[in-house]
Amino acid sequence: MTWPLLSTVVFLPLLGAIVLLALPRRREALMWGWTLGVMLVTFAVSVVLYAAFDSSLPSMQFSEQAAWIGGLGITYHVGIDGISLPLFVLTTLLSPVALLSAWQSIPTKAKEFAVLMLVLETSMLGAFVALDLFLFFIFWEAMLIPMYLMIGMWGGENRLYATVKFILYTMAGSALMLVAILALHILNLQQGGGRSFDLFDFFALDLSLQQQKLLFMAFFLSFAIKVPLFPFHTWLPDAHTEAPTAGSVILAGVLLKMGGYGFIRFCLPLFPAAATAFAPLISVLAVIGILYGALVAMVQPDIKRLVAYSSVSHLGLVMLGIFAGNLAGLQGGILQMVNHGLTTGALFLLVGMIYDRRHTRLIADYGGLWRQMPIFAVFFLVVMFASIGLPGLNGFVGEFLILLGAFEFNRGFAVLAALGMILSAVYMLWMYQRVMYGEVTHEANRGLRDLSAREITLLAPLVLLMFWIGIYPSTFLRPTDAASAHLLEQVRSRAVLAAPVSAALTPRPFPAGEGAVDHAGGQTP
Amino acid sequence: MIPVPYYLVISAVLFITGAIGVLMRRNALIMLMSLELMLNAVNLSFVAYARMLNDTGGHVIVFLNIAVAAAEAVVGLAILLTIFRNRETVNIDHLNLMRH
Amino acid sequence: MEAAALLEGTAALLPHITVLVTGLVVLVLDLFLPPRGLGQAGSRWATEAVSLVGLALAFACALAQAGDEPRAVFMGMAVVDGLGTFFNAVFVLIAALTVLLSAHYVRREDIRPGEYYALILFATLGFMFVGSSSDLVMMFLAIETFSMATYILAGLLRDTPRSLESAFKYFMLGSFSSAFFLYGIATLYGALGTTNLLALSQAMSAEGTSPLLLMGMGLLIVGLGFKVAVVPFHMWAPDVYEGAPTAVTAFMTAGPKAAAFAALLRVFAQGFGAPAFSEEWVPIFAVLAALTMLLGNIVAIVQQSVKRMLAYSSIAHAGYAFVALVAHNAAGAGSILYYLVAYTFMSLGAFTVLMIVARRDDQRHVFDDYAGLGATNPALAAIMSLFMFALAGFPPTAGFAGKFYVFSAAAQSGYYVLALIGVLTSVISVVYYARVVILMYMHEPDAEAPRIRLAPTSVAALSVTAFGVLYLGIFPGGVMQLAARSVAFLFPG
Repeated sequence: MTWPLLSTVVFLPLLGAIVLLALPRRREALMWGWTLGVMLVTFAVSVVLYAAFDSSLPSMQFSEQAAWIGGLGITYHVGIDGISLPLFVLTTLLSPVALLSAWQSIPTKAKEFAVLMLVLETSMLGAFVALDLFLFFIFWEAMLIPMYLMIGMWGGENRLYATVKFILYTMAGSALMLVAILALHILNLQQGGGRSFDLFDFFALDLSLQQQKLLFMAFFLSFAIKVPLFPFHTWLPDAHTEAPTAGSVILAGVLLKMGGYGFIRFCLPLFPAAATAFAPLISVLAVIGILYGALVAMVQPDIKRLVAYSSVSHLGLVMLGIFAGNLAGLQGGILQMVNHGLTTGALFLLVGMIYDRRHTRLIADYGGLWRQMPIFAVFFLVVMFASIGLPGLNGFVGEFLILLGAFEFNRGFAVLAALGMILSAVYMLWMYQRVMYGEVTHEANRGLRDLSAREITLLAPLVLLMFWIGIYPSTFLRPTDAASAHLLEQVRSRAVLAAPVSAALTPRPFPAGEGAVDHAGGQTP
Repeated sequence: MIPVPYYLVISAVLFITGAIGVLMRRNALIMLMSLELMLNAVNLSFVAYARMLNDTGGHVIVFLNIAVAAAEAVVGLAILLTIFRNRETVNIDHLNLMRH
Repeated sequence: MEAAALLEGTAALLPHITVLVTGLVVLVLDLFLPPRGLGQAGSRWATEAVSLVGLALAFACALAQAGDEPRAVFMGMAVVDGLGTFFNAVFVLIAALTVLLSAHYVRREDIRPGEYYALILFATLGFMFVGSSSDLVMMFLAIETFSMATYILAGLLRDTPRSLESAFKYFMLGSFSSAFFLYGIATLYGALGTTNLLALSQAMSAEGTSPLLLMGMGLLIVGLGFKVAVVPFHMWAPDVYEGAPTAVTAFMTAGPKAAAFAALLRVFAQGFGAPAFSEEWVPIFAVLAALTMLLGNIVAIVQQSVKRMLAYSSIAHAGYAFVALVAHNAAGAGSILYYLVAYTFMSLGAFTVLMIVARRDDQRHVFDDYAGLGATNPALAAIMSLFMFALAGFPPTAGFAGKFYVFSAAAQSGYYVLALIGVLTSVISVVYYARVVILMYMHEPDAEAPRIRLAPTSVAALSVTAFGVLYLGIFPGGVMQLAARSVAFLFPG
């Protein structure tokens, strides 16, 4: 038996958390060091995994399967493919970054914080690799508790409202998903498949269009809230505004990706006919989200809220790519999720850094920071350019692929999405201008410390990756090639199987064949 | 000879009277008595059915019920007595410490 | 009756007899131990030790019967079968945990240990006989046995008006519901000429439904509905649970509730299980389950007292277990047993924390008393959070696994709407469970509140319940398999 590498990565943080519980509360440095060490080791192992991953195969790799709850046919089944791999590594990368950002800004209950971060990491990693729907649901729900406690214990003034809203929104979505999972289980039983919650067993189910639509909607609600897709986004700005920096980084960087990942992993292949039927509707919501998020971001007086609304806008773009139904859109969507994790994570870090110094997040309270904190201003500039998709940085590649895919799907949507991207440049640059340029308007801003070595260490890997993806994206796109193509093939073939029923109802089936992008060459600016 | 259904109707009437008494009366002692009335109404039913079915089982059950009713009365009266010592009332409208 | 049959019956009821003898020993022991002064501590330890040893013996006896062929003893009054054995083990477990968690309470509130533990044991005896009865009259007597013991337990704090009020209300509505139950038995007896459950189900299959029979069934639903505290027969529960001594409330949310479900399974799944009859009661139960889940969870939100909130939560959880009854299939019956075990751990654990936080005189039960517990008592707050999240149904805890089994059983029978109501009300329940967690961690502690010192017995009770909640959540398969095997005979084929 080979060493279960995947489970090692998933459960290392949890193991670390259990050890941490035994460490004395007073030895703070030891606690931080231990937590950081565990997270770095986890990251290192995940990089080994990335290196060992065979990107030419579309199938699940590093699979592990073991019986777990016999009576219901539930197994511990995990595996990773090109779709989950980038997000998986993103998680192991962002976790230590988020932890490090909290080193000094978490004044109380440091032990609780570190334990929650580790538990959160395990549940996020688990959700990305779970291939048994019961297992996935457990990780999916388990994520909520640490996030909820993190916002509630170290959040801002309105944290109670934000936490309740956060947990109710996400729970309401997942409640429906649970019923849908049960329905799949029962259908599998009725169709002679025996008791199982395995994703691959569910792929073989024969579902009518009506069933697909109902089940799709149940899953959709859960994932759409998480993404968040307009109009299910209202919990996000509140949660972000109140969350501590580390919480925001994880929330924006990883948790929101769970929604997009869920669509790709579950919604598309499980209910291809319904996905095809709903694709235009979801694209409309995505486009509204892009424009709405951008417009609302423009008028925000609070930097953190601005970044939060920019997330709504960017993730609308991701959704547009995923539901474009072609390889360019899908790969762009996956890459853009990673990009968004990096850039928005970095933005929240930067906002957190000035908040630590000035304890305000209002744009009006700043001005002229360029002279006071030049290193900060440069980092902010790079990250901002990445966020608005300047060529040479990561955002451009993802957005370009998505627009390419969207253009093929529906030109109107692509034009509107492009408009949204222009708007994003407007609000970002305007915010940057107000915060960085001009004279120092508030005395308190004079003589602010520039970034410390710790803060630079935090940002450096993220910025490095932004350039890397921007200049040579195929390092990150190649692993997704085979899996994405395979997924689209799966959707197409099964959407066609359902065609006799759905042909009349679905004006726009997934277009076949075209859309594969050659990103070994071309692409890079 | 009075037909069996007559007994059953009387039993039902007594049971309902007892139930109404428990729900409507405010004096705890009278509620206790209504409770006993309900149990005895059921006893009447048992005897009537036993007679109708020519089965001695029903008669035996009645004896068990009488014992249970006696035990219940003991517990009920004991609780009432303690309440009376504490509060000097057996009106249940005064038992409202937990209404929020 | 022949001597051999008597001997066989006695052997079959060995777990029950062990508990009975233990109760009597405790009662007698109390007479010979000094009630005050130095000997008092000894008398407490002695009664607790005797109770725990007796319960351990009873547990062993119950386990020894696992896998036995189903057999009726004492002229068809009692049975030994999987269902009874499983419930015996559960009841003994509840009693043992209650003894553990009460040890601190008994000392703090100065309760006479002899009568307290003896009553717990006698109530447990009642529960066990409910689970093992195969005759309605036997079941009635068993229900009365545990009811009377719990009436007295609820009123044990004789100088506390709340406790007395709770005892009186519990007594009044408990006896009221018993009368309905008894009237139901009488009506069924009149309709079919027997009170034996097996004979009843055979006679029913032969004769079909009749108005008298349906009336009897309805009366039984009302009677047992009160015992389970299912909406609309729930109104006694919040007051009773709130007023009773906290250790007793813990016992009441676990024991009598599980016993009532044992009775429901015996009467409805076994007695009225045939399709011709189940189609009469299943729709009624479905409505009751939906109402219970909705009302229990919604009203719990507005409570000011954590104890009262948990009382409503207990009503809501009865609603979830009711969903499994509605499913009326093997998976459903198994999941009721699983759910009861899971709920036992969650509820006893949560009430143990309540009891500790309430301090002397058992007064501090409002939400604000939990403010800042995370700062003053991190371990206690962490474990309370675990119980709250478990009750709310978050994975990976017993609460989630239990709900998952219940809802999948409901879905299997096609009750998707009920499963949907179940999951949505679970979401609602997060609001009030999370409130406790919020207060513990996100508010400043009361300045004058001293750090709470935990008694070793309380630590033991908390450890066992927390372990149970996590173990049943992560590895639910084993217990579920046991449960499924225990009820397999109810749904042959």
